[in-house]
Amino acid sequence: MKKEGLRRHLLWTLVVLLALGLWPLGGWHTLLVCRVLGFAFLFAMVTVAWNLVALSGLISLGHAAYFGLGAYAAALLDHYSGAQVPVTLAVAGLSAAAYGAVLAVAFQRLRAASYALATLASVEIPKVIADNWESFTFGSLGLVGTRPLPTISVAGFAVDLSHNIMGQYYFLMTFLAVACAIHALAIHSRWGWALRAVREDERAAAVLGVDVFATRFTATVLSAALTGVCGGLYAHLMGMTEPDLVFNLHISAMPLVFAILGGRFRWYGPAAGALVLYSVDQLVLHPWLPAGHAAVYGLVIMVILLFFPKGIGSWPAPRS
Amino acid sequence: MWFQLLLNTLSLGSFYALVALGFSLIFGVTHTFNLAHGELIVLSGYMAYGLSKAWQAPFALTLPLCMAAMACLGQVLLALVRRIREPFELSSLVFTFGLALVIQNAMLFLFTADYRRIPASGKPLRLTADLIVTRNQLWLIGLSLAATALVYLMLRKTFLGMALRAVIQEREAARLAGIRVERMNRIAFAVGGALIGLAGPLFGQNAYLHPAGGMEATLIAVVITLFAGTGRIRGLLAGAWLLALLESAAALWLGSNWRELVSAGILIALLMWKPEGLLARKKPAPEL
Repeated sequence: MKKEGLRRHLLWTLVVLLALGLWPLGGWHTLLVCRVLGFAFLFAMVTVAWNLVALSGLISLGHAAYFGLGAYAAALLDHYSGAQVPVTLAVAGLSAAAYGAVLAVAFQRLRAASYALATLASVEIPKVIADNWESFTFGSLGLVGTRPLPTISVAGFAVDLSHNIMGQYYFLMTFLAVACAIHALAIHSRWGWALRAVREDERAAAVLGVDVFATRFTATVLSAALTGVCGGLYAHLMGMTEPDLVFNLHISAMPLVFAILGGRFRWYGPAAGALVLYSVDQLVLHPWLPAGHAAVYGLVIMVILLFFPKGIGSWPAPRS
Repeated sequence: MWFQLLLNTLSLGSFYALVALGFSLIFGVTHTFNLAHGELIVLSGYMAYGLSKAWQAPFALTLPLCMAAMACLGQVLLALVRRIREPFELSSLVFTFGLALVIQNAMLFLFTADYRRIPASGKPLRLTADLIVTRNQLWLIGLSLAATALVYLMLRKTFLGMALRAVIQEREAARLAGIRVERMNRIAFAVGGALIGLAGPLFGQNAYLHPAGGMEATLIAVVITLFAGTGRIRGLLAGAWLLALLESAAALWLGSNWRELVSAGILIALLMWKPEGLLARKKPAPEL
């Protein structure tokens, strides 16, 4: 990247970060906007996690499996043991990562459409189990009364994350920042180059000494873990976990839509797509069309595939 | 009781064959991976429900209307899908995934999330002392098998069918032999759409319609097509009955809700066994 381009890039990043960081302090906003943007950060994190797998050349239609498993792990642990939130979130990430590892091994020979189909079907397994193991997961009624996020102290201030919407906003923003950092690494580091090599030509990558399976395995497990943490956060934020809510088809569709809208090959692309489209959907379309507003996600997929020159490839990668 | 179970399995399996038939035909000829297949079936079911509610249309009349409407919708879908670029199989899958979401939300908007059912056609018939067949089941078995047989005869006994099978087997060679592949694409979408239109009202009569109910039907169509290969009607029928048998067995021993796990599990197993998916073909000469 040229020096001038880099400077402009940094400037824009700074402007957006400052805008997102400072505007809630102005006090003229409604709490609704704050809460919606908080959830946008959460789903942006899922999108970033999804793109880790997509960067290795695999389109997943099953991230709801990781999300739902994370949500159920956190909610069940909270219900049965009353563990602290950091513990439930860690377990949420770990259980989703375990499922991700199983799928990465089982689906290692699948590519393109076969992989997409297999991941789509992989959501059904945890969903049906959660739906029917009534004595443990309370079946289709789901778990209610999951404790909200605790009060944490930052630099001497006590921030009550259960009621302070602005606190939640910054809390989720921090999580997204971490996810974006991992994503930037997955594009620019040595491992990122390995991912790119695997995506473009597996055989050539293998000849060059890239371990194709290990690269994909790491990406899938990391992606699953991040998505699982998001699921756990969702369980604590919503206070309830139902099979139809957390294993929903829309949860699988969202990251795909956001990522191809925002561009998959820049570090900020997936997050930007999520922030824009999720806010528009929730703040503009939802009040206007309560039932069926989510059609916009499907429409965006269709329009991009029909009219964008690169299709699922989305915006082309920056020249470096 | 066992005969009753067998009869129910037969009717379920015949319906599955009908569901898979449209998917298999469209996929085989045009290579369009239609993930919105189930949603289109549910949409057709809602259409029949709307017709029977609003104008008291008799069930037999809703069938041709739905078939015609879905065949037209198939042409629209083909016109859209033709614009999609390579890699076509994956891109069409993602595209129709988006279409599925749009249809789901449109149905949610138009018909709300309540469960709906098209009223039954009449009293059930008692064949023997403990063997009961409902009129719905008779419609279902009769029409499904008739449609399957018709498509089989068309593919095997007519010149058009020969051309369609040629396109399924080897697209470019068929083009070289003078077959108009574009016209075959249109015919596949018209026939496939009509089959979807037929499946919808039958689905709405035998099960509850729900906007989110389509994905299960899609998975079933994919599983059976993957099992039988494209364009093989007898294999399709065998696969459909086998799947219905497995589902009934799972429902009998584990409980009816675990049934949903069967098709997803079989799909994953089939994909792991045949990782190249539906388009498994001979390798091109340089790779042999």
